[in-house]
Amino acid sequence: MGGVRKTIDFWRAKKSGFAGMGRKGIFFTFIAITIMAVFIIIFTPQSGVSLQKNSQALKTRIGSVDGYVSDLESSYFETVLRATTFKAVLSLIFYVNSTGSYLTDFDSAFSEVMVTGRINGLPIDSITGKKIMENSTLTDWNNKIISTAKDTLNVNTTITIINVSASQSKPWNIDSRLLVNFTVASNVAEWKKSSAVTATIGIEGLHDPYYLVNTDKAYTNQIKKSTVEFNQWSIEKVREHLRNGSYMYWQNSDAPSFLMRFTDSISPSGCCGIESFVNPNKITPSDRIESYMDYLFWTHKFAGNCTQLYNITGLWDEFKFFKLDLGHMAKYNITSQYAVKTC
Amino acid sequence: MPSKKRGYFFVLDAVLGLFVIAMGIFIISTSYVNVPQLTQVSLLADDLLVFLSNTKIKDLNNPYAGIGGQLWKDGVITDADNSLLQQVGEFYATNKLDTAEKFVANVSKDIVPEQFRYEVWIDGNLIYPRNPAAEHISSKNNTALLLTSKKLTFGIMSRTTSSIWGPYKAEVFTWEG
Repeated sequence: MGGVRKTIDFWRAKKSGFAGMGRKGIFFTFIAITIMAVFIIIFTPQSGVSLQKNSQALKTRIGSVDGYVSDLESSYFETVLRATTFKAVLSLIFYVNSTGSYLTDFDSAFSEVMVTGRINGLPIDSITGKKIMENSTLTDWNNKIISTAKDTLNVNTTITIINVSASQSKPWNIDSRLLVNFTVASNVAEWKKSSAVTATIGIEGLHDPYYLVNTDKAYTNQIKKSTVEFNQWSIEKVREHLRNGSYMYWQNSDAPSFLMRFTDSISPSGCCGIESFVNPNKITPSDRIESYMDYLFWTHKFAGNCTQLYNITGLWDEFKFFKLDLGHMAKYNITSQYAVKTC
Repeated sequence: MPSKKRGYFFVLDAVLGLFVIAMGIFIISTSYVNVPQLTQVSLLADDLLVFLSNTKIKDLNNPYAGIGGQLWKDGVITDADNSLLQQVGEFYATNKLDTAEKFVANVSKDIVPEQFRYEVWIDGNLIYPRNPAAEHISSKNNTALLLTSKKLTFGIMSRTTSSIWGPYKAEVFTWEG
């Protein structure tokens, strides 16, 4: 009965705007409960700790994957590009050696070998008989990092090779460039990036394909940089140069670059022409009416034109029949006492 | 009790209740946040891996593993630009597992506090310690909190031929025990 009375009092009081009501307690109780509810929601400990925990875990996870993305971009692609470039160039030299002919298009051959390990659709290793590109193409290395990253960080990596090419800007180096798009997706974030990577390898120690093709593999010459300064040449240094089969770079010369020696495009290289002497003891017949400067010898620039050639008699005790044109005699500082006109 | 004063009684009651609840919340939340062991072990695992992957041989002052040290003089370490983790990976790739174990023991000697134990794994193989003692195994099996930090590692075997090793999964496990 008392409860009914209170309810009636409450509604009566409500109608009269509580002002005249003596029992304000229930009103204050509602306010107090509301304030308590707000406090409880705000300060519930479990939600606070869980949020903090999650944010720390997310931070760590994102940091780990971000580190992987940075490594991929700044280090992995560059390391892989350098290694694969070296192997691809080596494979192409063996390919030229095996086929005995020049490449028709260096750029496309290089790109195909780098990405797939094939040349004209055939595995290059099966043609050269050397296992150089096996498990070592860009695609292979990309698959390896994708698999290891999945295992280590549980991320899905997608790598798309846009373009790969090689060129020379310095006589003794090959620069390769890789354009790549990659995506790294984890359960917390996704990274989408494009990257242009460059790598440089030295050519010293590699076989000169120009010699291999022109002598049908009978005469091989490895690239070795001459240590003689341009103004320090003498007959004895030329002898040493010829003995070592070393190469010389002259500014603004007519010599082809190393990469040009893969194709039958023997023309002056603007930046990177290198030249070596053909050793008469290593060719048959040894006596030819040619300048024994490699790119002039096999392009037959002075063939039969003995009036423009000189027998370098100062070296004939060791290199009989060695001849040069007047321009190269001057460059290598071979004076008239060591040379006589061929005819 | 006069009806005018009942409201104050209710408010006082509610405020008292609120105080009790607030105290309860404070005590519970304090006990939730203070879990120092988790943070410490977790940071230790990350720190050890970061130390191994960010420190280069050339930056290391260590008579065994640094430049001019025993391994350098013996020609076992040849690339000063390798990180410590890369050097461990290279030892693993070239099957110098004993050297790898000794190398890790040397470079991490003063890094990890004595009350903690740790393991270094490369490519799913235990590198340090290679032959853990029974006490070590038991401690690992019984620990309440075993934390790991992982990273990928790779490197160059020969600068001349640019041959590569890896990429491998490098893992560090740490626990208190």
